Amino acid sequence: MEGFSSQPSDSNQAASGASISLQNLPSRGLFSAPVLSLNPEYGRMRVCVCEYETSLPEDEHIKTNQQNILIRSLKLKKQKEKGDSSSKDVKGAGAAEGSRKRVAERVLDRAPAKKASMQPRQEESSNQASSRDFQGLTVERLRALLKAKGLSVKGKKEELIARLRSSSG
Amino acid sequence: MSVWNYVVTAHKPTNVTHSCVGNFTGPQELNLIIAKCTRIEILLLTPLGLQPVLDVPIYGRIATLKLFRPHGEAQDFLFIATERYKFCVLQWDVETQELITKAMGDVSDRIGRPTDSGQIGIIDPDCRLIGLHLYDGLFKVIPFDNKGQLKEAFNIRLEELQVLDIKFLYGCSKPTIVVLYQDNKDARHVKTYEVALKDKDFVEGPWSQNNLDNGAELLIPVPPPLCGVLIIGEETIVYCSANAFKAIPIRPSITRAYGRVDADGSRYLLGDHAGLLHLLVITHEKEKVTGLKIELLGETSIASTISYLDNAFVYIGSSYGDSQLIKLTLQPDAKGSYVEVLERYVNLGPIVDFCVVDLERQGQGQVVTCSGAYKDGSLRVVRNGIGINEQASVELQGIKGMWSLRSSTDDPHDFFLVVSFISETRILAMNMEDELEETEIQGFSSQVQTLFCHDAVFNQLVQVTSSSVRLVSSTSRDLKNEWHAPAGYSINVATANATQVLLATGGKHLVYLEIVDGVLIEKKYVQLDFEISCLDINPIGENPNYSQLAAVGMWTDISVQIYSLPDLNRITKEHLGGEIIPRSVLLCTFEGISYLLCALGDGHLLNFTLNTTTGELTDRKKVSLGTQPITLRTFSSKNTTHVFAASDRPTVIYSSNKKLLYSNVNLKEVSHMCPFNSAAFPDSLAIAKEGELTIGTIDDIQKLHIRSIPLGEHARRICHQEQSRTFAICSVKNNQTGAEDSETHFIRLLDDQSFDLVTYYQLDAFEYACSILSCSFSDDSNVYYCVGTAYVLPEENEPTKGRILVFLVEDGKLQLIAEKETKGSVYSLNAFNGKLLAAINQKIQLYKWTLRDDGTRELQSECGHHGHILALYVQTRGDFIVVGDLMKSISLLIYKHEEGAIEERARDYNANWMSAVEILDDDVYLGAENFYNLFTVRKNSEGATDEERGRLEVVGEYHLGEFVNRFRHGSLVMRLPDSDVGQIPTVIFGTVNGVIGVIASLPQEHYSFLEKLQTNLRKVIKGVGGLSHEQWRSFCNEKKTSDTKNFLDGDLIESFLDLSRGKMDEISKQMSVPVEELCKRVEELTRLH
Repeated sequence: MEGFSSQPSDSNQAASGASISLQNLPSRGLFSAPVLSLNPEYGRMRVCVCEYETSLPEDEHIKTNQQNILIRSLKLKKQKEKGDSSSKDVKGAGAAEGSRKRVAERVLDRAPAKKASMQPRQEESSNQASSRDFQGLTVERLRALLKAKGLSVKGKKEELIARLRSSSG
Repeated sequence: MSVWNYVVTAHKPTNVTHSCVGNFTGPQELNLIIAKCTRIEILLLTPLGLQPVLDVPIYGRIATLKLFRPHGEAQDFLFIATERYKFCVLQWDVETQELITKAMGDVSDRIGRPTDSGQIGIIDPDCRLIGLHLYDGLFKVIPFDNKGQLKEAFNIRLEELQVLDIKFLYGCSKPTIVVLYQDNKDARHVKTYEVALKDKDFVEGPWSQNNLDNGAELLIPVPPPLCGVLIIGEETIVYCSANAFKAIPIRPSITRAYGRVDADGSRYLLGDHAGLLHLLVITHEKEKVTGLKIELLGETSIASTISYLDNAFVYIGSSYGDSQLIKLTLQPDAKGSYVEVLERYVNLGPIVDFCVVDLERQGQGQVVTCSGAYKDGSLRVVRNGIGINEQASVELQGIKGMWSLRSSTDDPHDFFLVVSFISETRILAMNMEDELEETEIQGFSSQVQTLFCHDAVFNQLVQVTSSSVRLVSSTSRDLKNEWHAPAGYSINVATANATQVLLATGGKHLVYLEIVDGVLIEKKYVQLDFEISCLDINPIGENPNYSQLAAVGMWTDISVQIYSLPDLNRITKEHLGGEIIPRSVLLCTFEGISYLLCALGDGHLLNFTLNTTTGELTDRKKVSLGTQPITLRTFSSKNTTHVFAASDRPTVIYSSNKKLLYSNVNLKEVSHMCPFNSAAFPDSLAIAKEGELTIGTIDDIQKLHIRSIPLGEHARRICHQEQSRTFAICSVKNNQTGAEDSETHFIRLLDDQSFDLVTYYQLDAFEYACSILSCSFSDDSNVYYCVGTAYVLPEENEPTKGRILVFLVEDGKLQLIAEKETKGSVYSLNAFNGKLLAAINQKIQLYKWTLRDDGTRELQSECGHHGHILALYVQTRGDFIVVGDLMKSISLLIYKHEEGAIEERARDYNANWMSAVEILDDDVYLGAENFYNLFTVRKNSEGATDEERGRLEVVGEYHLGEFVNRFRHGSLVMRLPDSDVGQIPTVIFGTVNGVIGVIASLPQEHYSFLEKLQTNLRKVIKGVGGLSHEQWRSFCNEKKTSDTKNFLDGDLIESFLDLSRGKMDEISKQMSVPVEELCKRVEELTRLH
């Protein structure tokens, strides 16, 4: 803030400064004629009258996805989780964009899947998968896994992974 | 007027809101694209300067205009988003020279709070997505797929609610935005986010910066190799990136616009609120930023957009003053400025107020606007007329007549210009250098005044002086023959054509001569009843060199007569009536119809249809063209005949659709005119005016001519007073003393002809002038200026104190006659039944003008009416008062004389935020509101119940797309009884974008016809970018959207005339009306403005 008052108009210095700063202004040869026509309004500009079709077919009109942001993010999250936690053959996981009905279906689908994951066999496979790439999971997801095992969810990511590894190992 | 209204633009928007430069019309072509709110202009930059390409009307108010280059394309595409949430991507088709829609869509959301700080639209520099900030807390993404096609848009929640600016950062592997925002403690910060397209969400970005300058408002992303962003504040400029932070202090200013100079982003032009232009330099070593430097370059108009063009040329687009083309100079001029203004592009916006004056009392309004703001404030005089493009002029006093002559009969060009003075005749001719030089024709008499000159057959010239007629060879220039006036008589008036001479001498003699090779033959002479005042033998028959009729105007009996030639038999005599003698007569043919025009000494013009075989005069019509004697002359322009009426109000008379039309010429007094079609000045006219001789060409159409009167301060109200021949304006002067900005308010008095400042009156500190009126009161013959003011104190939300000042103009001074304190701001003043009606905050108050015992005058409150939020706009008619409220639409009040009270009669119950009101007729009132709509309401006096009668019914609705500040009754064109449009009442409006428009009330039958035409035109003329005309014109505000009702879009209807013949035929078939008829009816409408 100290340099403040000294800044404005130290005329001589500023003058030479601007001259230097204004050197080598970009030019590609336009506006180079000695006499320039600069007011095109005298030249009566053509007014655009579209006699041809300008509109695109209805299905090419771009609209905003009206899905609620919260629902969308939950859905995306779940989808991700599903991709992480369960094997690829889970029904519907691949189909990204679906109608509301599909979403509902999937939500229903998910409940038994979750339950299933509680079963030892499933857990094992899931653990096998996850022990390989705990690092790739989010902290949130790790916490969820820890919670499922009834372990503490506190600490840094490394600690969480270590805790998970030790519990499964 | 009526409920069926036709809205048309007379002057297009000129407020430049956006501009950009890129390769739009071709890979090798560099374009400047300018947005003027609802229009786009595409220009081409060439070595020779700016070349116009296309003027594009857009069915929407442009919120974003950006050029971008999708992957794999050789030229740029144009992205346009409108304020009503439509967008389109346009491409230039090089072959057809038209605009093609590449993508379009609607980006509105059903829920969402529209942003207060303006819509933001940005495009990722790597073309991965388009980002829009339209609603608080939402960032909309329109992603591109890998083929460069736009896909379905989605919203991302943005935690920052008070967003000031958002930009994309360059050189990021993932699209990254930088957000400048204000928190709830009013501190400003920037934050970056990566856009994760797959997750449709934000990911925390690489860096952020807290607690910036409190006035930080603008972000400038810096391109590679430097990358990062510049944050422009009011007191500091900061460069910020993931690994650098540099700041410099600047002198306090609000930066309104920036333009990048170099492709590498090391230099920027910044334009501030005071119109100062700075250069910001990022100093760097290789790719490392070492610091910032700012240099003051000079002053321009207050910029809203800056585009660096090429070769040191810069386009400055302005909303508050004229836009400019400037050149940056390496060396400062005498004032230390590095800015050279090379061209100014007129901008009338914002039109805050205007008045329509008819200084010549022709029924043609001249609009005087309060235009521009701050230091760029000005008055603009807007007048419809034909322009003269001056090519040469020379000072010459006392010209009494002018004629052009050819050097030989076959020469297509004029060579000599004969200029006659009271006691001599001078001859000018083109010399070898194409300059006009004095020369001699030996055979001409040069020591006397010339009465008439003409080219004659056989390479001869004729000169008529008061004593003789001289026949001269145009090749040898020697006198060949002379006819002398009889002894004792002198020639008073004369006329001639190529083969005939007709002259009148004293003693009521009329003499007819014919010209043959080398000889003048006197064919006939008659003595008439009275002296002759004017003559004409302009050939209108088949032979262009010979006339069979002569028109003669007479003194004493005030008549015009038609004689046959060569025998001088009187065929017709027409008494003109009145006491004013005819001063000029002219026979002429327009579109195959022959007319006799007869100009009187008082500026009136009579026209008759002339039957060339019988000599019968019919269809007499009279118009007023000025107040001084008129001289009539024919000239041709574009191979059609026109007549020039030289007088104090020069006018061009021409014909269209077999109707005579009159256009003002944009010149002051013209005493003489003659066509002068010389080789150096083809198709030119020689014009004698105000002590000078001018040679110039004439526009072939009439258009609006604008004269600027710069004020250097912001004019907010204007009013004309006929009696004192003055304008009074209320203006604000911004003073900048150090860091403190202060304002001073003035009432200024200007001469209505010269616009020179006559005197001024300075208001108190904090006192704003809100309204001005010229009026008189009952029992007082003086005409006063009344000014309403408000004390705007920083601690008050709404003014609680104001004044009404009554001034009298005496000896060029503003004498304060009376002063009345009010309990609020005086938003409006109206003359009302010999009293003064004021709108003061929420109240309408009537004051009477009373005489005190000591002989002084005062305003005394008589009665009032409460019940408004803020009564901002008031119009009156008889005892009726129409009030436009801040937010309660229009209400109708009535003044009851017996009870001395004002009561509410009816109101419109819609919640419209008004910006202007006007009374169209007894029952229909016009309003403009905050969301750019127009509407009309109707009084329902026949309603069955009180409730019905108390409701103003909405009868018309229309989206104008312009913010109207003022309506005024009046016309921009001459109102003549001759034309159909002369009968159509019109209202003129002025808007923030500098639009001057006309609303015309049509008869119902005419309206329905045009409505049908409009419907058909909608099918044929498409909106650019696929935008719908119907949606654009639908009434739309926060609360509702409804179809246009009882308003027609004149701009669309008049574009019928620009259609190709094929499309015209198509419409003609649909309408079952011949094309010619359609053209005729539309052309008539174009004459409304």
